[in-house]
Amino acid sequence: MSATRTDRPQAGLDIDTQRLMFGFFWWSGVWLLIGTLYGLLAATKLYWPEVFEHPWLSFGRIRPIHTNIALFGWSSFAAVGLALFVVSRTSKVDLALPQAARLGMWLWNAALVAAVISLSLGVSRGPQEYRELIWPIALVYGLGLAAIAASVIATVARRKTPEVYISNWYILGALCWMATLYTIAYLPFYQDGLGNIVIQGYFMHTVVGMWFTPLVLGILYYALPRMLSKPIYSYALGVLGFWTNMVFYTLIGAHHFIFSPVPWWLQTTAILFSVGMMVPVWSGTGNFFLTVRGSWSKVRRSYPLIFLLVGVWGYALASTQGTIEAFRSANIYWHFTNFTVGHSHLAMYGFVAFAIWGALYGLVPRITGRGPSAAAISLHFWLAFLGGSLYITAISIAGVLQGASWVAGESFIASVDAAAPMWLWRTVGGFMMVASHIVFFVNLWRMRPVRDEALLTGEGVPA
Amino acid sequence: MSLHTDHRSLLAVAFGGFLVLSLIIAVLPAYEVEKAPPGAGITQAEGAVARGRALYLKEGCAVCHTQFVRDLPVDAPYGRGSVAGDYALEDPPLLGTQRTGPDLANVGQRQPSETWNLIHLYNPRAVVPTSVMPSYPWYFEEKPEPTPADVVVPVPDGYKPAGVTVVATEEALDLVRYLQSLKQTELPQ
Repeated sequence: MSATRTDRPQAGLDIDTQRLMFGFFWWSGVWLLIGTLYGLLAATKLYWPEVFEHPWLSFGRIRPIHTNIALFGWSSFAAVGLALFVVSRTSKVDLALPQAARLGMWLWNAALVAAVISLSLGVSRGPQEYRELIWPIALVYGLGLAAIAASVIATVARRKTPEVYISNWYILGALCWMATLYTIAYLPFYQDGLGNIVIQGYFMHTVVGMWFTPLVLGILYYALPRMLSKPIYSYALGVLGFWTNMVFYTLIGAHHFIFSPVPWWLQTTAILFSVGMMVPVWSGTGNFFLTVRGSWSKVRRSYPLIFLLVGVWGYALASTQGTIEAFRSANIYWHFTNFTVGHSHLAMYGFVAFAIWGALYGLVPRITGRGPSAAAISLHFWLAFLGGSLYITAISIAGVLQGASWVAGESFIASVDAAAPMWLWRTVGGFMMVASHIVFFVNLWRMRPVRDEALLTGEGVPA
Repeated sequence: MSLHTDHRSLLAVAFGGFLVLSLIIAVLPAYEVEKAPPGAGITQAEGAVARGRALYLKEGCAVCHTQFVRDLPVDAPYGRGSVAGDYALEDPPLLGTQRTGPDLANVGQRQPSETWNLIHLYNPRAVVPTSVMPSYPWYFEEKPEPTPADVVVPVPDGYKPAGVTVVATEEALDLVRYLQSLKQTELPQ
């Protein structure tokens, strides 16, 4: 599995820009390993509660560490690094304000280190999912976001093309939406009592749907046509998806609190627009698959493209599943169960992680001129795909068994006993996922930018 | 103005549209419902109960335990349906999204025993053999000889080191006071 040099750095980026973008990828890999080790430990504790019995490693403390690192470490770093490349390529200019982007990277790292320490010590805002971090840490993270956004917006502003390419619609949207929703989540003025829960539903939903979803879709709108060497099937469908995603996704957060004292009209609105979400989801998915039409022979020979298309399929499946889960009748069986955990992993792993990996393997060799071997990429793919599938299947079955036990009116512990075998299978899947992340980390190392080699061979010098 | 060629307009519409929608769907409703008065009998947690609640937050108990009863037959074992007034004085309210363990909105009625709760916190499997809840031994002391002032926890043999007596710390007692305080109030008809 030696590093192959099949791809020259076609992007012709100078070594500093290469290193800046690769910094985001590198830290995404570091946080992926740390975050999923925490996840694996949490999974193990559900059938072996005494393992590593220490306050800092107690289940209630490590679960938010796992989710925060997976979201704000791994996924955000990788997606933003790719977004920096996409905006600069599609705008046909060098990345503007690279110092701001670099500052953002270090602010994010600082916030994440503080997050791990504070959550380990039990210092948090309590179990408010994905906004557990105390406000000083959140502020550092927010400043990092602002610095990165400045670099992205300045790059688009200096573009040499008249049009703002559709990828950049999604990326610009994601940055300004994340800044807005993160601020709304932390301002205290309307969050007494149940007000907090209205904001909680809004935040935990939009942070996925208005940050990760548009970021990754923006990356897909560049990576897929680029890796297939053909234009996107329909530009207009991309625009339709952009606006419908913005309107519908924003309105559906309350579906996390169905049958709660949150106003009934709010819950019903959320359910209605959850159905509306099928418009952006299937127009986007259709657009991507219609782009692939006629090029399947290329896909069969390319693991990066296979990663990418598994990601697209994960997007369609996770979103459709989310719509179904929003119905009141489904809520009775599935809500509060591990089915939700399966759903979030289908979204953040099956969609976000796979799409990111496809784009990384497809695009980073164009940045640095170095790529891992096809065998190493395929090893990553199969471990992640089989492990992730096993994980999601097992934990979803666990959820169905829990729900069935509750509806049957059994004593609570019967639902624990019913789910326990599935928790073991889920952990086996988790082991394979972590193993795949180690392979990914090695592959990432093989894609790192190297100055000397480029100078020796004359590659990587901008024409 | 064309959104396709003017990034400023694009940003303005995306940002403005999202902000307006967020105000309508989140901020204004939150502002409305936060005014809901506390229900009859709902009081601010104080003293040991407040300290116990802080520990409940610190340990992330609400990751696995909801305090949110839906007005549905499936939730009937946990009490009556939760109402806005139940949460009016809580910061943050602990409705939760996962029930890896049972709902605790009314656990003070169901399981008021201090002894049971202390044993359960020291090692849940001592009272519920197949429980997957974490143990919290760091809220207990293992002593060769307790003093008369100590609250001795009668942990069954096999669930504690041989030859020691398990004694509850102040924190363990605070946590139990909080759990005992979780009692749903009766709603006016």
